[in-house]
Amino acid sequence: MIRVAAVADVHMDSDVLGRYRPALEELPDKADVLLLGGDLTRHGSAAEAECVATEFRDLGVPVIAVLGNHDHHRDQVPEVVKTLEGGGIAVLEGEGTVIDTPGGRLGVAGAKGFGGGFAGRCASAFGEPEMKAFVQTTCDAADRLSEALRRLECDVLVALTHYAPVPDTLLGEPLEIYPFLGSYLLGQAIDSAPTALAVHGHAHMGSERGVTPGGVKVRNVAHPVIKQAYSVFHLHARARAAA
Amino acid sequence: MNRRLDEYVEADVQRLLTEDVDLAEQGITVLRREQNLVLCGEVESQARRDEIERKVRAAFPDVAVLVDIGITRTQPPGEAEDLS
Ligand SMILES: [Fe+2]
Ligand SMILES: [Fe+2]
Repeated sequence: MIRVAAVADVHMDSDVLGRYRPALEELPDKADVLLLGGDLTRHGSAAEAECVATEFRDLGVPVIAVLGNHDHHRDQVPEVVKTLEGGGIAVLEGEGTVIDTPGGRLGVAGAKGFGGGFAGRCASAFGEPEMKAFVQTTCDAADRLSEALRRLECDVLVALTHYAPVPDTLLGEPLEIYPFLGSYLLGQAIDSAPTALAVHGHAHMGSERGVTPGGVKVRNVAHPVIKQAYSVFHLHARARAAA
Repeated sequence: MNRRLDEYVEADVQRLLTEDVDLAEQGITVLRREQNLVLCGEVESQARRDEIERKVRAAFPDVAVLVDIGITRTQPPGEAEDLS
């Protein structure tokens, strides 16, 4: 068994420093890894990233993150990533990583993702350059996520995004803003590999559970959704069919 | 200028919550009721809740604002979810 802890949308700044620490002390007893699903900061400043690095430092388990839209706000992504990495946090964008756990090799592929909407109600790459650029951003993110997922050699595969890959976990959000909360293209990327679990955030008023069209379980771990410091999922390595 | 509690006020408050550099909150619901504007949702600290209340009241002095925003709890999880 592999134990995966996850939370998203912690929106750290100096006013939040230390709030997660008591729960994080228990983390090594409960999980083999901690995933952070983006919106780690309020505005994406290096100072806020330093708060993230401080809060999630030296936890006794690897910490793997993707960025969220808030982490892009100041347009200081390289500084934010560098600061997070300084705190020992691996930041994924269209990349994957494999960690050895007592229950087997856990592969995590991550990408922030983007909006666009869901099947039958989505944006198309047509018309103005702004619209094409919007859709292309999502296509590129989904392609990177798919490649990262398919490249990983592991026993259990997890996809980590900020934006939602399915509408199921948006339940509770206004329907009108679904296209800004996620894209079916991320779901399609997740279904292109033998993914066991997809974890995301961003939808603060959404709901916890969903499933992709291909049958992959999806969990929205936005902090206001899970209403606890982090959630823990137990995953089991599946015997792969012979090629 | 006196501002009635109409749809444009609702839209302006929603944008203020996100775009004001001291707020940056996208997870607050703005509900336009008969008598007042209700803000609900959750934030990460009491200071953020207070700042939202202060800024919205200052920007819309003629609107009755009711703030019902909680602070998201950070206790460790009681149990894990088995995904077999
Ligand atoms: Fe967020
Ligand atoms: Fe977000």
